[in-house]
Amino acid sequence: MSSARPRLAPETPKMVTAWDTATGRTVYMTPSREWSVNIADGAVLVGAAADDALAFAASDEGRATDPYVMQVSPLGEIDGREIIRETIRAVGPTNHPMFGKQAGNP
Amino acid sequence: MYRYDEFDEALVRERAAQFRGQVARRLSGALKEDAFKPLRLMNGVYLQLHAYMLRVAIPYGQLDPAKLRQLAMIADRYDKGYGHFTTRQNIQYNWIRLADMPDVLDALADVEMHAIQTSGNCIRNVTSDHLAGAAADEIEDPRPWCEIIRQWSTLHPEFSFLPRKFKIAVTAAETDRAAVRVHDIGLHIRRNGDGEIGFEVIVGGGQGRTPHVGVTIRDWIAKAELLSYLEAIMRVYNRFGRRDNKYKARIKILVNELGPEAFAEAVDTEYAAQGVHEAVLLPQGEIDRITEYFASPDLPERPARSVTFEAARAADPALDRWARVNLRRHRTPGYTSAYISLKSQGEAPGDMTGDQMRVAADIAEQFGFGDIRVAHEQDLVLPHLAIDDLPEVHRRLRDAGLAASNAGLASDLIACPGLDYCNLSNARSISVGNAIQAVFEDPEFEERVGPLHINISGCINACGHHHVGHIGVLGVDKKGEEYYQITFGGRADEKAAIGDIIGPALKGDDVAPALRRVIAAYLDLRKGPGEKFIDAYTRLGPAPFKEALYAVD
Repeated sequence: MSSARPRLAPETPKMVTAWDTATGRTVYMTPSREWSVNIADGAVLVGAAADDALAFAASDEGRATDPYVMQVSPLGEIDGREIIRETIRAVGPTNHPMFGKQAGNP
Repeated sequence: MYRYDEFDEALVRERAAQFRGQVARRLSGALKEDAFKPLRLMNGVYLQLHAYMLRVAIPYGQLDPAKLRQLAMIADRYDKGYGHFTTRQNIQYNWIRLADMPDVLDALADVEMHAIQTSGNCIRNVTSDHLAGAAADEIEDPRPWCEIIRQWSTLHPEFSFLPRKFKIAVTAAETDRAAVRVHDIGLHIRRNGDGEIGFEVIVGGGQGRTPHVGVTIRDWIAKAELLSYLEAIMRVYNRFGRRDNKYKARIKILVNELGPEAFAEAVDTEYAAQGVHEAVLLPQGEIDRITEYFASPDLPERPARSVTFEAARAADPALDRWARVNLRRHRTPGYTSAYISLKSQGEAPGDMTGDQMRVAADIAEQFGFGDIRVAHEQDLVLPHLAIDDLPEVHRRLRDAGLAASNAGLASDLIACPGLDYCNLSNARSISVGNAIQAVFEDPEFEERVGPLHINISGCINACGHHHVGHIGVLGVDKKGEEYYQITFGGRADEKAAIGDIIGPALKGDDVAPALRRVIAAYLDLRKGPGEKFIDAYTRLGPAPFKEALYAVD
């Protein structure tokens, strides 16, 4: 992992996120263990299911790099103390909104 | 400027081809990230918040039109139409796909550029005075020495895996524009008592989480001995620098723990012990060969005053302001050096679009003897312009959105990419920087405030040089909220100092209003317009500025 992320309690809802190996874009693991650039497609996980998903992600290096779990709400909204960082990862830089996903970029 | 010989050319081409194979193996899954990461870092490729980031070396900040146009092409074809100039006089691209990296490295090689040693625990891009070769106050051009050091340190087998990254800067002017005292090694070209030109050697400066101002371990060393002496320093560092803790691995920690005298003694011992076969010979012929690449352009004789320019200036207040703020004295009468500020209100400091790069390249080609520099303040500089040509140069810059008249003033701030782009950052730098810029939106007010360096970093790694800003702003994370710690009194010049932490960090939205109060206090307290902020702070100490910072509006 490129930088240390906060430890999350097992019962905390979380999502597996990583970087697309080919493009470097932020991606989220879906319920079918595919990768999506859209956070709305990400699977909300807790407990052992999150650990299993992260272990799978770590083995899926050809597609995703440096996976980790990020805190989300039960509905999959970004939550927790890294809410600013993860919001920026999800939608793009705040100073260049035309470059982010909110502008329709992949 | 320096031109590649066949060895340089082959080295860069082979390195690009080698990386192409490494990328292919990574994309095929044959290489795992753990194995690939050190390989990509050796080629300047980071994985940042949104994408891979490529850091391209611009040795001592020197560009020519062909190089700048190629950087523009890369911005347009492989990135999102812009690049970001850094405090190491490099350029970074924030959005390049890994699959495109080999093509980008080939494109760089086409114009004698690369990304080697822009990352990793090696000797990084050697930086220098962006006015080198043009400044009226320099003893001699420092760029040949930067190039000599670059050649010595590139892929140096003994110093490719140092305890930590290593940064060297060289200046030759009494006014230090290269921040040599906050580098791992700073070299200040000076004359000795006999009038001979050599180097003052400063070691152990640096920023990051443990900032230090470097100490002089040699008042003067002869040119011919420079590389051997540098080699002795590096060997002492390589042997005794800590590898058990990355936060204590920089040479500044070693110098501080040993003490400057003991460190200097260790270097002298190593230097004296070098065998004949170990010495790095630097014959005068080789110095001369390198120096020839940096010969001053053939500047036609011109009158010191330009009637054309003065008439245009009188008729155009914007040109007049730009000339007053952005020009610097050239050593040749009739010429000047001009800053192209990359700090327009509301823009990311250091960002430049591909179109703007092409405009700057065209201007340099037509009016600037093909010479372009990157300043560590994240601006560009055209070092050689005829004063007669300034009205046309200014018109073209203005049309391209490149005529911000703020060089050296408050809104010409340094800021790292911060949390908008950087994977290590705790807080955004650009947005708080833009808010601070807005305080100085009125150019007359900004000029009245006078020279002021505001430096912003999004984390303690200090890429935005906050420790040495007259006003430093450091982003910190407080339970998920962006806060900013303020320092006063830092400076990166010949009187280098680390700023004083003033008190508790401020919320992001409170930073600009607080600094507005600080500036108001400074204007009230200064002896007169001639007393700069940094001088007033030095005279008065932190108390009145702290009171203003934490006052309630």
